[in-house]
Amino acid sequence: MKILKWVVGIVVCAWLGQDLLATLLPRAAMELIYARGGNQMGYNSLVVAPVSDEHARTVVRPSPDLLYASCIYNLEDGPLQIEAPIPERYWSMQLYQMNTDNFAGITNRRDERYRVGTVLHVTLIGPDQTPAQYEGTVIQSPTARGIILFRASAIGDQAQQQAALDATRCTPG
Amino acid sequence: MLKMLVKIIVAGLLTLLLAAVFLARNISDNLATLSVNNGDWTTSTSIGSEEAGVLLKAAVAIGGLLASTPENSMYYRLDSIDGEPLRLNCRYRIKGKDYDADWWSITAYGWDNYLIPNTQKRYAFNNDDIKRDEDGRWEIVVDRNQQTGNWLPVGPAGAAVWRKLVDYDFDLLLRLYTPGTAYLQMPQSAELPRVTQEACE
Repeated sequence: MKILKWVVGIVVCAWLGQDLLATLLPRAAMELIYARGGNQMGYNSLVVAPVSDEHARTVVRPSPDLLYASCIYNLEDGPLQIEAPIPERYWSMQLYQMNTDNFAGITNRRDERYRVGTVLHVTLIGPDQTPAQYEGTVIQSPTARGIILFRASAIGDQAQQQAALDATRCTPG
Repeated sequence: MLKMLVKIIVAGLLTLLLAAVFLARNISDNLATLSVNNGDWTTSTSIGSEEAGVLLKAAVAIGGLLASTPENSMYYRLDSIDGEPLRLNCRYRIKGKDYDADWWSITAYGWDNYLIPNTQKRYAFNNDDIKRDEDGRWEIVVDRNQQTGNWLPVGPAGAAVWRKLVDYDFDLLLRLYTPGTAYLQMPQSAELPRVTQEACE
């Protein structure tokens, strides 16, 4: 009888707890990547990843047709300066806050300003900072921490695309 | 006292595990309402956005973390044909052409959401490296056994089998980068590749 009470209690708590788990899961997954990625690659600096293969198991569903670079950021000590030369073929910079929302993004396919030969300059500021205090293109992150993911097409000749990611900067300042 | 503490810890872990199973079932059962179906392909127009609900965000956290919003890239996923889960003992054929997007690719992922280990190091085809007919159309054969032409090899996922909670062995993901308006506005009817099952061992 005592065991039955425990079993019923576990089932009921689990049933009620699934909503809480669903709410916590995105943040937990991001925290995991944030901590693991930050420990391996550091924060507020750009890391260019090798082309994805079966050994790429940091983030689910890596695309073998893309070159990736990432910057795991923490804006508690001030803004970040992002500088990125734009390559000819598909390129994008997507910014994610800690609940997985893709809160901002720039792509050389949708944005007329960012075409091959241009260099993107963005100041990334935290939620407590004031955009008007900064010049140029400013993006305000809803959370002090997050992840910037750069994607560039890896199909065909990768040299120019790779060079663009290699020359990308993500530095405090 | 110690005995009670152990009981509470074990009960807590079992509760968490069971809650995860309930959540996985909930996501699976409600995937149709979270997604847009286009034949056997499914997609979502709110992936990555603030409008995505709790369940969709949880689903993305499990199987699509750091996905982009549809304006940047659309993801169509297929894990079954006419309700039959994709199996490693079956051969599938994908027929298609070019689509209204900057570029596209089709990738096979194991049930663990990672690229499938294979000696060919072939994980995907895209509009640049696929072999086409004279009229520009193409076909991909998805099979664990070697095939001629555009062969997309599949095999066991890299993760331990005991972790498998889904009924399919692998799935296919069509990525459309900078998709045209048909995909953004009518994702349920826009033109997509056709996938058929050919034979099973």
